Amino acid sequence: MVHSKQEIEGAVEKSKEVVREAFSKFAVEDMAITWTGGKDSGLALWLIRQVCQEDGQQLPRVMTIDEFDTFNEIHSFMEKYSEEWGFDLDWRRNDDVIQAAGEELNAKVLVEDLNDRNKAELKRIEYDLDAFPFEAESYVGNHLMKTVVFNTYLEEKAVKAVFQGLRRDEQAARIQDTYFEHKEAAHLIPDHIRIKPILHFTERLLWDTYELYGIPYCVLYEQGYRSLGAKTTSAIGETGVPAWEQDLENTEERAGRRQDKEKMMERLRQLGYM
Amino acid sequence: MRNVILLTLDATRKDAFGYCGSSKGLTPTFDDLASSSLVFTKAHTTGPYTQASFPGLLTSSHYLDFGVPKGLSPKRTLVSEPLRNAGIVTAAFHSNPYLCGYLGWNRGWDTFYDSMNDDVEPRIPYVRGDQVNRKAIEWLTAHHRERAGKPFFMWLHYMDVHEPYMPERRWIDLVDPSIEISQDEMYTLFTDVLLKRDVSIAENIMLLRKLYDIHVREVDAYFSELMDCLDKLALLAETTIIVTNDHGDEFTEHGGLSHDDKMYSELIDAPLLIYGAGEAGTCEEVVSNADIAPTIIDLFSLPAVDAFQGQNLLAPTRESIESGAFGEAIDQRSEKGGDPARDIYFYREGDLKIIHRPEPESWELYNLATDPREIDNIVSSSPEAERMKGRILPRVRRWQAN
Repeated sequence: MVHSKQEIEGAVEKSKEVVREAFSKFAVEDMAITWTGGKDSGLALWLIRQVCQEDGQQLPRVMTIDEFDTFNEIHSFMEKYSEEWGFDLDWRRNDDVIQAAGEELNAKVLVEDLNDRNKAELKRIEYDLDAFPFEAESYVGNHLMKTVVFNTYLEEKAVKAVFQGLRRDEQAARIQDTYFEHKEAAHLIPDHIRIKPILHFTERLLWDTYELYGIPYCVLYEQGYRSLGAKTTSAIGETGVPAWEQDLENTEERAGRRQDKEKMMERLRQLGYM
Repeated sequence: MRNVILLTLDATRKDAFGYCGSSKGLTPTFDDLASSSLVFTKAHTTGPYTQASFPGLLTSSHYLDFGVPKGLSPKRTLVSEPLRNAGIVTAAFHSNPYLCGYLGWNRGWDTFYDSMNDDVEPRIPYVRGDQVNRKAIEWLTAHHRERAGKPFFMWLHYMDVHEPYMPERRWIDLVDPSIEISQDEMYTLFTDVLLKRDVSIAENIMLLRKLYDIHVREVDAYFSELMDCLDKLALLAETTIIVTNDHGDEFTEHGGLSHDDKMYSELIDAPLLIYGAGEAGTCEEVVSNADIAPTIIDLFSLPAVDAFQGQNLLAPTRESIESGAFGEAIDQRSEKGGDPARDIYFYREGDLKIIHRPEPESWELYNLATDPREIDNIVSSSPEAERMKGRILPRVRRWQAN
């Protein structure tokens, strides 16, 4: 471990404070936790669960977005731990798009085959071509397969506050992020608060925390993945070298993932966009 | 058939160029080129920031023609598309995230470099011009080696003048070695003064302008490197070069900083020049960056593109150029990140420029010949006011009906 026990405990304590503040502000039925099966949302979930156990609280509902293009290893990891930790994991996906794609990656999806909600969403992002390729990490795919599923879930469950496993050091653009972020309602987007209890964790501190507390993680990290996204766009950092043994400080965490979109968004934000 | 290079400079004010009147000596290479080019003295961008201006530059259409999508509307035609269809080799090299492939600007290019897979320095959201040059020069060299004689259209865009105004020491030393400022201090100036549009301390503004000017000198050096390459490959004699900006930057001329939704000269005047086509000299007609794409099409002797709204700047007779330039934008700094209900327009004809905001309603009319700084609003006294309003109102109605 690079960090001392004291440093790790301090960071965990800080996160728990954020979680407790959230519990003091919102009723448990108004909250939700997003879990991707990755290391970040995994740490956030573990922390929230710790607080619930310590304070005799009920765990807020947990949801995950199935992007279709997913790893079996993540799937089994999530099944195992949702059972072990005793909560119902709400699997959500945009079935309408998957059907229109004939359940085939990279298939051409005709806009006219989609339902009204998805059509409205395409209109919202001003996509006005007749078709798009079924790819979770493309501009349209990302929107329909993740953003829309997320917003629909918030709307359906009337979620007022949602926990997310975002870290400040993932991207320079997140430097200014705060633990509680208010997202104002807009067309097809419900008003909600985003709670980010692990914002202050670095990638190294995160793995040190996993080690100190023996927190479970998906086996893919042992094989060398450092960051998990859609299956076809995630790549191994160093083959066979567990994530925490790689040179975290001098190489890029998301080097294995398609970065166009994230780099673009980060640069746009720096240029004053959004 | 000749080659065409379009070089666009982000956020670079027209009055920073020597050939447009600056006495600061920041642009020796551009000034040299201008002396044997056709210089347009009354050219305008189609908007005060990249998203409003590039539809004009590369698609010869206006910002609000097709809503304000994040990406390039499929309804627009990029100049690269008809060129590539006609067998012209097309290549783009830039580092502006607003114009990246992800947002649809990669249509029609045989080669499209947008730098999105390359790393940037943490505080500067784009790769520098030397990197853009490296890619462009590699490409030019390979093209020359493998396809010599096959006509190409290349678009290059340098971001470097765009904030955060953090020039490297070597450029500071080139312009004014007496400036003592660290990268951290420059960044603080950016976050605390420029981003906050805090115009209260004159020294800060002067320093920002100084840093800005240093970047202008830097970009001239990048351009010089490109010219050297063209010279070395013996391409200069067979290449038309078009230079312009996408917008300028404000240094409190109208109360602000950077480039917001305003339509004054410091933001929408363009240093447009065309080298290597037609005779050198000046053109005094009011023209627009939206005229560039049709001009490129004509340079390759291709039939006019219906979707293009601009005109050929190299029309056989100068008199046949229709004078007038139009631009439009929305408020980009609202909390929601772009408020389509806060639109702004300008139209210029001759020396008269009218600026209009529908909400809250305002009209400004300036005579640029007598009032180049746009201080004396003559909308209530000018007999031309109603006619000028009439040129803008159809655009406003079209947007409001949208």
